[in-house]
Amino acid sequence: MKRYSTIALAVAAAATAACKDNAVVNPIDAPTVGALSGALTRVTLQQLATGALAQDRASANAFAYAIETGILARDVYRIDASEPRFVQETLGGNPDPGSFSGSGAWQGYYTAMRAENNLILALASASATQFTTAEVDATRGFIRTMKAIELWRVIEVHDTVGATIQTDDVNAVTPVRCKTAVLAYVAALLDSANTDLAAAGGSTVVPFKMPSGFTAFGRDYSTVSNLILFNRGWKGKVDYYRALDRTNPTPALFATAITELTTALGAGPGAVPSSQFNTGAYYVFVPGGSENTPNTISDSKIGLNPLVQDSVQAGDTRASKIVPRTALAGFGLSTAITYVFAVANTANQSHPLPILRDEELVLLRAQAEIEAGQFANAVLDVNSVRTSYGLTATAFATQAAGRTAVLYEKRYSLLFEGPQRFDDLREYKELNATFHRPETSTDPYNAALPLPRPELNARGVTTNPACTP
Amino acid sequence: MKRIQSFLYSLLALGFFSASAFAQGRRISGQVTVEGTGVPLAAASVTVVGTNLGTYTDDQGRFSVTAPDNGPVTLRVRRIGYIQKTVPVAAGATESNIALARDVLQLETQVVTGTATTVSLANAANDITVISSEKLNRVPAQTIDYALQGKIPGALVTQNSGAPGGGVQVQLRGVSTINAAFQPIYVIDGVIVDNSSIANGLNAITAAAGGNFGSSQDVRVNRTADINPNDIESIQVLKGPSTSAIYGSRGTNGVIVITTKQGQAGRTSLDVTQRFGSAALSNKIGIRCFTSAQEVVDAGFDSTGYGAATNKCHDYQQELYGEHPFNYQTIASLRGATTGGTNFYLSGLVQHDGGLVRNDNYNKQSIRANLGHRFGGRLHLRGNSELIHSLTERGISGNDNTGINPYTLFSEQPSFLDLRRRADGTFPVGPVVANTSNPFQNAELIKTPEDVFRMLGSGSAVYDFVSTDRQTLNFSLSGGVDSYADHAKIISPATAYVEQVNANPGTIVVSDANILTATLNGVLRHQLTTNAFTATTSAGFGQVRRNVDILENTGRGVFPGVTNVASATQIFTTESQDIVKSFGLSLQEEFLTLGARMLLTAGVNSERNSNNGDPHKYYAYPKFSGSYRLPFLPPKTDELKLRLAYGRAGNPPTGGKYTFLTNLIEEGVTGFRASTAKGSPTLKPETTSETEGGFDWTLFTGRARFSATQFRKQTDNLLLSASIAPSTGFTSQTINGGQIVTHGTELELGMTPIQIGGFEWISNTTYSSNKGRVTRLPVPGFIPASGSFGSRFGNAFIQQGQLVTVLQAVNGCTALNAAGTACPSANRVFTFVGNSAPDYEMGFSNDLNFGSFHFSSLVDWRKGGLGVNLTNDYFVGAGTLADTARARKMLSDFAKGIDVWVENSGFVKIRELALGYDLPAGVATRLFQGHVQSARVELSGRNLKTWTKYTGLDPEVSNFGNQPLGRFQDVTPYPPSRLWYFTINTTF
Repeated sequence: MKRYSTIALAVAAAATAACKDNAVVNPIDAPTVGALSGALTRVTLQQLATGALAQDRASANAFAYAIETGILARDVYRIDASEPRFVQETLGGNPDPGSFSGSGAWQGYYTAMRAENNLILALASASATQFTTAEVDATRGFIRTMKAIELWRVIEVHDTVGATIQTDDVNAVTPVRCKTAVLAYVAALLDSANTDLAAAGGSTVVPFKMPSGFTAFGRDYSTVSNLILFNRGWKGKVDYYRALDRTNPTPALFATAITELTTALGAGPGAVPSSQFNTGAYYVFVPGGSENTPNTISDSKIGLNPLVQDSVQAGDTRASKIVPRTALAGFGLSTAITYVFAVANTANQSHPLPILRDEELVLLRAQAEIEAGQFANAVLDVNSVRTSYGLTATAFATQAAGRTAVLYEKRYSLLFEGPQRFDDLREYKELNATFHRPETSTDPYNAALPLPRPELNARGVTTNPACTP
Repeated sequence: MKRIQSFLYSLLALGFFSASAFAQGRRISGQVTVEGTGVPLAAASVTVVGTNLGTYTDDQGRFSVTAPDNGPVTLRVRRIGYIQKTVPVAAGATESNIALARDVLQLETQVVTGTATTVSLANAANDITVISSEKLNRVPAQTIDYALQGKIPGALVTQNSGAPGGGVQVQLRGVSTINAAFQPIYVIDGVIVDNSSIANGLNAITAAAGGNFGSSQDVRVNRTADINPNDIESIQVLKGPSTSAIYGSRGTNGVIVITTKQGQAGRTSLDVTQRFGSAALSNKIGIRCFTSAQEVVDAGFDSTGYGAATNKCHDYQQELYGEHPFNYQTIASLRGATTGGTNFYLSGLVQHDGGLVRNDNYNKQSIRANLGHRFGGRLHLRGNSELIHSLTERGISGNDNTGINPYTLFSEQPSFLDLRRRADGTFPVGPVVANTSNPFQNAELIKTPEDVFRMLGSGSAVYDFVSTDRQTLNFSLSGGVDSYADHAKIISPATAYVEQVNANPGTIVVSDANILTATLNGVLRHQLTTNAFTATTSAGFGQVRRNVDILENTGRGVFPGVTNVASATQIFTTESQDIVKSFGLSLQEEFLTLGARMLLTAGVNSERNSNNGDPHKYYAYPKFSGSYRLPFLPPKTDELKLRLAYGRAGNPPTGGKYTFLTNLIEEGVTGFRASTAKGSPTLKPETTSETEGGFDWTLFTGRARFSATQFRKQTDNLLLSASIAPSTGFTSQTINGGQIVTHGTELELGMTPIQIGGFEWISNTTYSSNKGRVTRLPVPGFIPASGSFGSRFGNAFIQQGQLVTVLQAVNGCTALNAAGTACPSANRVFTFVGNSAPDYEMGFSNDLNFGSFHFSSLVDWRKGGLGVNLTNDYFVGAGTLADTARARKMLSDFAKGIDVWVENSGFVKIRELALGYDLPAGVATRLFQGHVQSARVELSGRNLKTWTKYTGLDPEVSNFGNQPLGRFQDVTPYPPSRLWYFTINTTF
């Protein structure tokens, strides 16, 4: 019997050793997404909001945002003998989906959208003791607005190629939707965000610290009443381009856009004071240190198309944005121009980059008014900008003259601030040889970036698939 | 292995303790000697067949054993290293003298078949290479891995650097993984011993990979370097899953099972070995010799400012690497057993190896205590422990982007300059290089100490429940820990010219790694012996836990002379931690039948691992094998055994299961977002199935043994990084997919061609070849993460249908430029230029014994295999290669898109050469005043001569040593050395 009891003891010892062994090892080097389940606290919300906003900043602070669209709009060139793709794949040929010129304005925004989707999901479990319902609504409204901006930025450069609408399912590879559908989704998302903000109430303050770019430029967007202005401004911009869309216009939306832009500006045509022009939301950059996010527009290889300097009207104080630079050879461009101008401030790596400011909104309203035939209002808005830069008032009474006038103002007011001129030229159908001298013998007048190679690979195709309406 | 021995001991023990039960009986005495020489053989076991009676021989080989009655009996006599013998003793006889033949072909060796089971090599169904202590330590080696080179058919043992202190890569039967562990696991006395290669932080000053911390290019040392080879009794190499299935989820790359020496019955012996040696630079690059300032100017170097140029051709390599260090090893061991049943083995080692550069060295000290004791008749306890310290200073070598490595600097400066230390102790600045770096000053001022304190401890307990002739039942519980702290520093003071160009001159890297591996095994084993068969059933559990914590601190802007990282102007910190747990259950049946001619084995090991997607899920690793010793034999044949084995083993994921949160900072506020690497909650281990078949043929009365083995190994569920649709917000994910199939052949011929009187010639020849092909790949072809310098030089490339070790390079041009001098980048042709792994490898080992003289040699031949000689690129590009015509042609060809850096890296090396002499007993006694039993003196050398077409320093050297693929890159390495030793071995 003793023998068997010993065996039993040994087996028991083995079994104990087996059971004591906890099979699961929780990762200790970094948190996982699993940390987002459970009640959301203010500390975690701050981290998630900062993570999403930092990713949003990083995505916009990439070559594709201002530099590549500047090249496609023929205002800005990046001349670098060791990297001819800046020219070869923009003005000399089509962007390669596998290299940086063709793969931009995609993954970074979708990573930001994932961060925003995760945050919105986490808000569902926000601790009732830590947050008021209004704070939760305010946060959701803001993050939804940001998510709409990410998708806008994808579609504004992917245009007819389309974009996908990310869902909460991390494994879902959703169909590529056509521009009209994507823009409709962006608009609806902005409206649902606006509903959240309205539910929160204007005096509510978001329960986390926003970056100074959202609080220190004339308007503090941490208060919901200002976030509503931000949201409406974006809605106005999106609706204007939906109305104008060259392949599928919806003219009825011009009026909607004008109303939304007026809400965002808080003043009617010609009534927005110039002191308000720089008011808006910005990206603030912190070069050096562990953060080390310099403004990428600060790039010594960037030069301006001489036409930018040549076309500036006498007396325009915005000419101060154009500064001389050491000559860049016209590498890769058949016109062999020497580029001697740059954009002021670009040497400053912490130079803030506007996300959306009121001057753009005024000019967007002017554009909508021109398309809606409200030339008087359009002239008022154009002149409110124009005269603030030392120029005499202008007048126009046709769509063509109005477009020319507003394009001039947008070019110099928003010089090197983003894809605005690229968007306008394309939608005005001026991105072609009729309006622009070809920069190379094979200039294809690219109007859209392709789907990046990994996106094509994941869909088992080698070229852009037809988009789903 | 410890368990196996424990088991054997317990079997023998049955003899002792049962013996007391027989108060009556006949005494049989006699002497056991060595066949041929008549030398008495101590510590041989003598048992009475069919009983539990037995004993050991004493110093004089004498024994006395009790037989149960006066009838005829049979004695079985065995001792490790000798062929066992059964001797009939006639009824009533009381004396029997027995001679045992030496087992030079290892026919008697017991090899592992399970966590607690063994079988004699004669019956083994697998091709297991066994390396004895004698074979291992014939010529001293700095670390154990060097001592394995050329001795294991199927193993590619590659030295990663000529720097002192190790850094060796072992691959068994080719490469069967791309991203997971690729080296065999090492098991010492049942405990898994860590073989990590930890970066010492050299990258912080060489910027080989950029950044502030260590990198894969740090010329790392794999930590089995710590093991003292002199403590090893034997090494068994389980080359693939058909045998290593018993190690389940870790077994795909094979297992190196090491058993340390144990105390043994008989006279207590004290063994002292003293070695003295030296090393010398064994190869140099042909560096161009400039004889006048004008020639330097003509070559494109600006001679202005060279000032005190000596107008002499300096042999920089000799000037820096010309040291002949004084090396020594002192090894002592005490081995014996008490009459109370305790056996002991105690040993100590003190070793110093200098480098070829004055300040480089490798030092190791270790002490080991192995104890065994028997309580009563049933319980047998054993405890082994070793404490090791090593200090390595390897200097600077390998890839370098700061101009700090000697070979980088030799290539950049004309040999016209005298860069040596001046009489006043100062160093001239390097006038040609932008950072004025001086290799002699760097060697003098920059310190790279790496201290390792390691503790290996293991224990086992075996309890016999039942022990009769017919059946035995026992339970063994064994476990242990391997724990070490690796403390590495890089001290690059601001006084070094190379530091003075930095924004914050003066760098200190402090790297601390703490690694713990704990193993626990329990096995219940039952053996049933009948006339028809012996059936051994075992069932058990095994548990392994591994904790890793590596902390690196790098300081920039450190005041000269200060060695505290906290004093730096800028401090960078990084830490990586890892905990892995696994648990498994095993069941095995071995069936020996047909008069011990046929062995059939079936077993399964089922394991879970915390790195698997589902940490609770058990994965099964089965094995089946059979061997049959033919009863009808061809002429001259002693034995012909056919064998066939199948087994499956795993390789667990090393990560990739979780989606982590990545931290981003905005205006100083920390934020988190989901990483772009998506976690794979369904991640599985890679699994490798191997089928191995072959035969072992012994002929000419044991004078020759020929083994042939053919294997097919298939790895499925490769762990791969897949790119995923970025619109999901993620860019990559670790997935299981793809397949590598490896075929290989291993041959071994052991012979004793001559054995006449005192003259004996023992020869062993091995051959191995294997090729692994990527047969399925669910992702587009890719360059593995191992590292490379781009396709213009040559890189590994994973592509379906290609060899896994294929080398891809730009080699061709669709159209040259208008001038016909260069290939525009768009016109470069990417080609699979060949195989980086050798076609085959052969080892030739020969031992000649003539009376008291012993001569042995080992020649290692690696046929084929490609290397990428980037060191050449440094010299060719700078115009400092001696063969200027060749350099010009290489540059011109390179511009045209021809890969001029790929070279055949095959070689023949004399790995080992030793000449020993046993001092006559009289001389030994006189010399050591009668205390000495035997003494031997020996002269030996390692890596004495290399024949190769490779134009670099050493065809073996690898810039990315610790990577499964892409090891073939040669980037300004530490040059190789040849080593000499003089040894005196005495046994007291």
